[in-house]
Amino acid sequence: MNRLLQKKYLAAPYAVWMTGFTIIPLLMIVYYGLTDKSGAFTLDNVLAIGTAEHVKALVLALGLSFISTVLCLLIAYPLAMILRNRNIGQGSFMVFVFILPMWMNFLLRTLAWQTLLEKNGVINGILSFLHLPNIAIINTPAAIILGMVYNFLPFMVLPLYNVLAKIDNNVLYAARDLGADGLQTFIHVIFPLSIPGVISGITMVFIPALTTFVISNLLGGSKILLIGNVIEQEFTKGSNWNLGSGLSLVLMIFIFISMGLLAKYDKNGEGSTF
Amino acid sequence: MKNHTSKLKRFFQDFYLVLVLIFLYAPIATMMVLSFNSSKSRTQWGGFTLDWYTQMFDSSAITAALYNTLLIAFLSAAIATVIGTAAAIGISSMKRIPRTIMMGVNNIPVLNSDIVTGISLMLTFIAFGISLGFKTILLAHISFNIPYVILSVMPKLRQTSKSTYEAAMDLGAGPVQAFFKVVFPDIMPGVLSGFLMAFTMSLDDFIITHFTRGAGINTLSTLIYSEVRRGIKPSMYALSTVIFLTVLTLLLITNFAPENAQKADAAGTGRANGTDGVFGKGGKRLTTQQIQKRKTIKKGLLVAAAFCVVVSVCFSTYKYYLVSHSDELYVYNWGEYIDDSVIEEFEEETGIHVTYDLFETNEEMYPIIEAGAVQYDVVCPSDYMIQKMVENGLLAEINFENVPNISYIDEKYMKQSQSFDPQNRYAVPYCWGTVGILYNTKRIEELGVPAPTKWADLWDPRYDGEILMQDSVRDAFMVALKSLGYSMNTSDVEELREAKDLLIAQKPLVQAYVIDQVRDKMIGGEAAVGVIYSGEMLYIQEEVENLGLDYSLEYVIPEEGTNIWLDAWVIPANAQNKENAEKWINFLCRPDIAKKNFEYITYPTPNKGAFDLLDEELQNNKAVFPDVEKLKNGEVFQYLGDDVDTIYNEFWKEVKAK
Repeated sequence: MNRLLQKKYLAAPYAVWMTGFTIIPLLMIVYYGLTDKSGAFTLDNVLAIGTAEHVKALVLALGLSFISTVLCLLIAYPLAMILRNRNIGQGSFMVFVFILPMWMNFLLRTLAWQTLLEKNGVINGILSFLHLPNIAIINTPAAIILGMVYNFLPFMVLPLYNVLAKIDNNVLYAARDLGADGLQTFIHVIFPLSIPGVISGITMVFIPALTTFVISNLLGGSKILLIGNVIEQEFTKGSNWNLGSGLSLVLMIFIFISMGLLAKYDKNGEGSTF
Repeated sequence: MKNHTSKLKRFFQDFYLVLVLIFLYAPIATMMVLSFNSSKSRTQWGGFTLDWYTQMFDSSAITAALYNTLLIAFLSAAIATVIGTAAAIGISSMKRIPRTIMMGVNNIPVLNSDIVTGISLMLTFIAFGISLGFKTILLAHISFNIPYVILSVMPKLRQTSKSTYEAAMDLGAGPVQAFFKVVFPDIMPGVLSGFLMAFTMSLDDFIITHFTRGAGINTLSTLIYSEVRRGIKPSMYALSTVIFLTVLTLLLITNFAPENAQKADAAGTGRANGTDGVFGKGGKRLTTQQIQKRKTIKKGLLVAAAFCVVVSVCFSTYKYYLVSHSDELYVYNWGEYIDDSVIEEFEEETGIHVTYDLFETNEEMYPIIEAGAVQYDVVCPSDYMIQKMVENGLLAEINFENVPNISYIDEKYMKQSQSFDPQNRYAVPYCWGTVGILYNTKRIEELGVPAPTKWADLWDPRYDGEILMQDSVRDAFMVALKSLGYSMNTSDVEELREAKDLLIAQKPLVQAYVIDQVRDKMIGGEAAVGVIYSGEMLYIQEEVENLGLDYSLEYVIPEEGTNIWLDAWVIPANAQNKENAEKWINFLCRPDIAKKNFEYITYPTPNKGAFDLLDEELQNNKAVFPDVEKLKNGEVFQYLGDDVDTIYNEFWKEVKAK
C-alpha cells in the first residue's frame, strides 16, 4: 500500500502542469464568458445562445456533425473489421496509413478538396471525360460533411481497430460452436465488446466536428454558418472575446456530456484512439 | 464453393480498402500534382516545373519554419511523453474519485475547440507576464500533447499486472529498477504510440501556435496561413510532397524490413496478437534471435533519431548566438508583402538585424499588439485599423525628421490617409488599391448579361450561383451600402438594416463568400463575377495570358464608388527600437526600393518617385492605376467604434445564418 502511495506522486508534475495550463486558462474563459467589456458580471454572453442566429448555427452544427459521425462509424466499422480479420499483424503499418495524411498541413489538405470538388475541379473533369453527370456539392452542406468525414475518420478507425483487435478469437469460436451464425455473433458478441471503441470514436469525431470552422469556411463557401464559425468570428473578427467565451462555455456542455459517456462506457480506456 | 465465396468476399474487402485509401489520399495526390504546376493558381494546370522545389530549398523562411516545426514537435512530444507516462502510472494507482477527476480534466484539451484553447493559453501567458516566443509555443504544445500520451499509455498499464512490479520489488529490485526492467517494457508500445500521436498533433496544429507564438518564430502552419491572403505558394505543396515521401520511405523501411522475417516465421500462428498496439508486432513464435535483431534495429533507429536532434539543437543554438545582434528591428507585416531582397539590403546598409513576422488579417494582428505580448517596432495595418489603434493609444507619432523620403509619397495619398490619421502624424502609406468587380467575359456572354458597371448589377437574378462575394463584414456591407447610395462608413442603423436586407436578398445568387480564393476561383472559371481587391489584377492578367484560357477576366470599378484601401506603416507605442523603425520606413520610401517592392507585390504604390521609374505601359495600366475620375465616389474605411462594429457583426451574422 505504501508503494502504491508513492507511485501516486508520479502524477504530481502533471497535476501542477494541468493546473497551470488547463485549469487556469479554462478559468480565464469562464471569467471572460461571465463578464462584459467593462468587467462586470453578466450572463448575457451565455444566454446569447438563445438568439435566432445562434440557435440555427448550433442546430446546423449539431446536425452536420451528427451525420458525419454516423457516416464515419458506418465507414470505419467494416474497415476495422477487415483490418482485424486480415492476418496483417502490422497494426503499426495500418495505423500509420491513417495517421500519415495528418502530417500534411490541415489547411492544404482541405484546400486540395476544394480543387477536387469545384465545378471545374478534378473530379468533375474525370466525370466529364467518362461522360458521366457532374457533381455539384461544393459550397453545400454535403461538401462540409465530406470534409468532416475526411478529417476525422482516423479518429474513428483507430479506436475501433484497437478494441476489435483485442477480441480473442476463441470467444468467436465459442459463439460459433454454440450455434451462432455470423450475424448473431456480430450482434451478440463482437458489437457489445466493441462498445468502448464506438463511444470513444463517436466522441473523438463528434466534438471536433461540432467546433470546426475551417472546413465550413473552405468547403461550404462560408454560406453556411456553424457555431464554430460564430465563435471564431467573435474572437478573430468581431473582437468580442466575451461573447466568444460565453458561447464556448455553452459548447463545453457537450464536451462534459461526452466525457460522461466516455467515463460510463469506456471505464477502462480500452477504446483509446491510439 | 466455399472457397469461391471467400475469394469473392476477399475481393470485396480489398475493393473497400482501396476505396477508403483513395478517399484518404486523393487530396494528397492533388497536392503532389500541384507542386509541379508552373501556374500559381490552384485551379489551372500551367505545365510541368520543378521551380517550386528549388524555391523551397532557397527560401530561408521555409527552412527556418520547417526546422522550428520539427524541433517543437520533437521536443514537445518527448517532454509530454515523459510527463504523461509518469502521470499515467500515477493516475492508475489512484483511488477511483481522484482518478476520474484527473482523467476528466485530462480530456478537456483533447475535446475543447482549438481556438478556445489557444486564446485561453495566450491570456494566461500574458496574465503571468510570460513573454511570447519559442518557449510559449513549446509549453502550449506540451500541454495539449500530454493528454494524448496518457490516453495511449493508460490502456497498456491496465493490461500489465501489478503483481509483477511487486514481485520485482520483493526480489530486491529498487522502485526505479523494477520500473525500467518490468513495467516499462510492458507499456513501451503505448508510450511509443503516445509519442507518435503527440508528434503528429503538434505538427498539424495551427490555431494554438498562432496565438502563443512570439516574434520571429514561424512554424510551417503559421507560414502557410500567412500566405492565405495572397494565395498559397506551390512551394508549400512541394514541401508537403517531400515530407510525405520521406515519412513514407521511413515507414516502409522500418515496417517491412523486420516484418518479412517475422511473417515467414509467424505463418500459421493465426491472427497476430493485436493487443500489442501500434509498435508491438504480434507473432509469439518468434525466435529470441529474431526478437533480438528487431530490438537492435529499433534501438538503433531511436538512437540515430535522438542523435540527430541533439546535434541540430546544438548547431542551432550555436548559430543563434553567432548572429545575436545589438541593433534590432521587429517588423510585423502581411504575408507576401515585401520583396525579400529588400530586407537583406536594409540589413546590409544599416547593420540592423531584422526580425520579420507575418500576420493574416488586421483583426488577428490587433490583439497581439494590444496585449503587448510581442513588442513590434513597425507594423503595416490597413486604414480603419490604424484609426482604431490611434484611438486606443497604441501608436507612437512618427518623427518625420528621420523620414525625409516621405517627400516621395504622392500628396494625394497623404491626403487620403487623413481620413484615418487626420494630421498625418502616425502613418506612412505603403500600398493602396480599390475594390471592384472582376468578370469572366465568356461566362457573362453565355448568361446573356451585359458587362457589369455598378454594384447594383450584382443583384441581377441571371447571375444565379455565379457571384463570389467578399467574406468580410465591412467589404460585404460596402457593396450593399454603395449600391443604395449611402456612405460605406455609415453608422445609421436604418441604412445598415436596409443594406442587411439587400445582402440577404442577394444570398441565393451567391456561389460562395470568399476572401483570397476569388483569384483562383475566377481564373479557374468557377464563377461569372467576383468582388475582388485590385492588387491581384496584374497577376491575374498575366496568368490568363500564360495559361491561354479561352476567356478573359476584366476588372471594373463600379459607378457608385468604391472602397479605396490603404495599408500604411505605423510604429506601436511600445516599440523598443523606434529610430530603427523610422530608418526602415524611410528606406521603404526610397524610389528604387519602392519600385522593387511594387514589382514583387504588384499592388499599386503610392510612391511617386517609384511610379515615375515604371514602364509607360505599366503606368497606363488602368486595372492597376485607375483614372482619378473613377475614384470620384471612393471612400476610405474608417473605424466606427466598438458599438457600431457590434451592429455590423450582428447584421452580418444574420445574413450568414439565413
